[in-house]
Amino acid sequence: MNDSLVEKAQLITLVGPPNSGKTTLFNLLSGKNFKTVNYPGSTVEYSTCKIQAKFGLTADILDSPGIISLNPNSPDELVSINSLYHHPQFGSPHLVIATVDVSQLSRHLLLSKQLIESGFEVIVALTMNDILLKRGYKVDENKLSEALGCTVVSINGRTGAGVEKLLSCVRNKIEFENSDQIKTPKKVFDNISKEKLLNIYKEIEEIENQVIQSIADEGTTNINSANQQLKILNPTLKYGSNRPDALTLKIDKYLLSRRWGLVFFFLIMAFIFTSIFWIADPFMGLVDELFGSLSALTSSYFGATWYGDLISDGIINGTGSVLIFLPQILILFLILGLLEDTGYLARGAMLIDKPLSKIGLNGKSFVPMLSGFACSIPAMLAARTISNRRERLLTIFIIPLMSCSARLPVYALLLGFLTPSDKLWLAGLGLAVIYIGSIIGSLVVAAVINKFNKSIIKAEDNSSFILELPAYRLPKAKVVLRNSFENVKQYIYKAGPIILGLSIAIWFLTYFPNHSPQINTNGLSKNEAVQLIKSERLSTSYAADLGKLVQPIMSPIGMDWRVGVSLIAAFAAREVFVSSLAMIFRVTDDEDDNIQSSILYAMHNAKNEETGKPLFTVSTIIGLIVFFIFAMQCLSTVAVSKKETGGWRIPILQIIIFTSTAYILTIITVNLLKLAGFS
Amino acid sequence: MKTASELNFGEKAIISDIDNSHPSFRRILEIGFTPGQEIELINSSAFNDPLAFSLRGTLIAIRRHEADCIILS
Repeated sequence: MNDSLVEKAQLITLVGPPNSGKTTLFNLLSGKNFKTVNYPGSTVEYSTCKIQAKFGLTADILDSPGIISLNPNSPDELVSINSLYHHPQFGSPHLVIATVDVSQLSRHLLLSKQLIESGFEVIVALTMNDILLKRGYKVDENKLSEALGCTVVSINGRTGAGVEKLLSCVRNKIEFENSDQIKTPKKVFDNISKEKLLNIYKEIEEIENQVIQSIADEGTTNINSANQQLKILNPTLKYGSNRPDALTLKIDKYLLSRRWGLVFFFLIMAFIFTSIFWIADPFMGLVDELFGSLSALTSSYFGATWYGDLISDGIINGTGSVLIFLPQILILFLILGLLEDTGYLARGAMLIDKPLSKIGLNGKSFVPMLSGFACSIPAMLAARTISNRRERLLTIFIIPLMSCSARLPVYALLLGFLTPSDKLWLAGLGLAVIYIGSIIGSLVVAAVINKFNKSIIKAEDNSSFILELPAYRLPKAKVVLRNSFENVKQYIYKAGPIILGLSIAIWFLTYFPNHSPQINTNGLSKNEAVQLIKSERLSTSYAADLGKLVQPIMSPIGMDWRVGVSLIAAFAAREVFVSSLAMIFRVTDDEDDNIQSSILYAMHNAKNEETGKPLFTVSTIIGLIVFFIFAMQCLSTVAVSKKETGGWRIPILQIIIFTSTAYILTIITVNLLKLAGFS
Repeated sequence: MKTASELNFGEKAIISDIDNSHPSFRRILEIGFTPGQEIELINSSAFNDPLAFSLRGTLIAIRRHEADCIILS
């Protein structure tokens, strides 16, 4: 080994069609030590790693997104394909490992052939050999290698068999070749002609006939000669059955049935949403208790000092009231991951393509919209799979209306106010109404925006829906679990600092400048004195100054400046609304050791400082819910929307349209409810 | 001239050509709908569109108007 190899690790890129076992191979090579990186200037994600030390080979591995051809069909694919040739961060690959599912040999070889013809240094890794074996066939690796003109190795993703052999081939390729002699592949497949595509397929079909062998007559005849005799009767008869997986067809008889397909679809969706609430509930209680007692503990330890207040109110309560809904995010990611792994998500997209296309969306909008119930940010990234630009932009446009998990703590609090604590089902029903309402709302908005397509979205494109429905399989629990935890971790890393920072900022605004007001506490009990000091401190704070600026906007919806400050804070991130209310109404020092119930207690006692009437009533609470359903509030969403749509136009339109709709609907709701006799 | 969108459920046919004036023809070819291949209409959504075809041992869902560019023999 020479020195230059030690200095600069060689780059190996994994390339393959979706469902070809590419990521499984990546996991085998990386062990657990991989990291996810974004393509600079975009959000196509790549995973990179060093090959595990136990394999004794120094090289970087890059896992690229799945593609079926080197001819790009969507913005997503264009980025993937361009960076295959030259990744701005990692450079050009010394070697490409192309994964090929042998049970899909003819379709998957298209990409391998294109890679070889473009001039990449390619090793083909054959996966899913066990599936082909079950059908009674196998692939002759040597013949395939000869026909393709590159190294071919069979691997088993589950057992790891063949990986050692694959790596010894890799070692031969990279260690005995000078790293300066990287081939520079050419882009020869942009807008490839029909004739050229058909020629490649013709070659592939010839190769396929040569390399697929029946196990029964192994070594004596290959399938090609057997086919020769049958060709007159049936020219397409090739190895085994050309039918898809029999079990999959049987399951699809029900799940894709024209009569029952939609029923199953709605049952599955209903199951997802109920489990988000019911399964998560005990875990959320646990998180709540934990932070509640932690806050009480620090508060009693430090006493009534400013830093004691900062730690128990600003930091612990602030973050606690947000971390409380982590269980829900985790469960949503888990269920989405499981559904995707079984192969159902693609079918869901197919089932509702038609109605979505009526309002200018696409069946492929389904997964991004569904992810939007967890968080708008990954949802907007998921919209990259939609190849039609207009449909992609419209999907991104309405994603903020999907009821993301950041709204959950807000709804949970507001519904908790409206419903008695012994009637949990009533709150559940309320949530269902909110969710259905927000889905209908977003579809109406999509239909309206689609009508004004020319002035709002400004894109026209060929609409298309072409999607492989993968064979059903049992989800790999380990992979799904790991991905879900990874997603939640990413979420905490991204949202955590913002939430913590804002919590401290709001604490500061509500605590200063008049942090120890001089008031006469003679004749008052200790508890009453504390409450009086608190309210005096708050009404002379910076937050009060800020709130009084927004008072004119808050009066029409029956709110005062304190809610106004919380709503301003919620524009940074919706969930901050709850922690901000908690801080403004100073709820910690009560005997209660549970954050939620002490906020509710404070809300029930709060008076509107203008009118002296109760601040939170049935009408104002429902008004707030309506506001949160429609308003565009999350700063990170705005940033991602700008990035994904390539400009400020769409995010600014989202802010204007959604927030003004929210405000107007809130005024209407509050006043209608008051007219109807609700307080 | 019969196209793939006119197949009945469970009916099999051989592709004779792909209409290359259709905007999606390239992706249709790339996913494996090539002349000479046998396809079978397996499922459709409740709205009769998209359609799911069996092709090269797998299932592919495409819209009715895309199936229109697959010409059968």
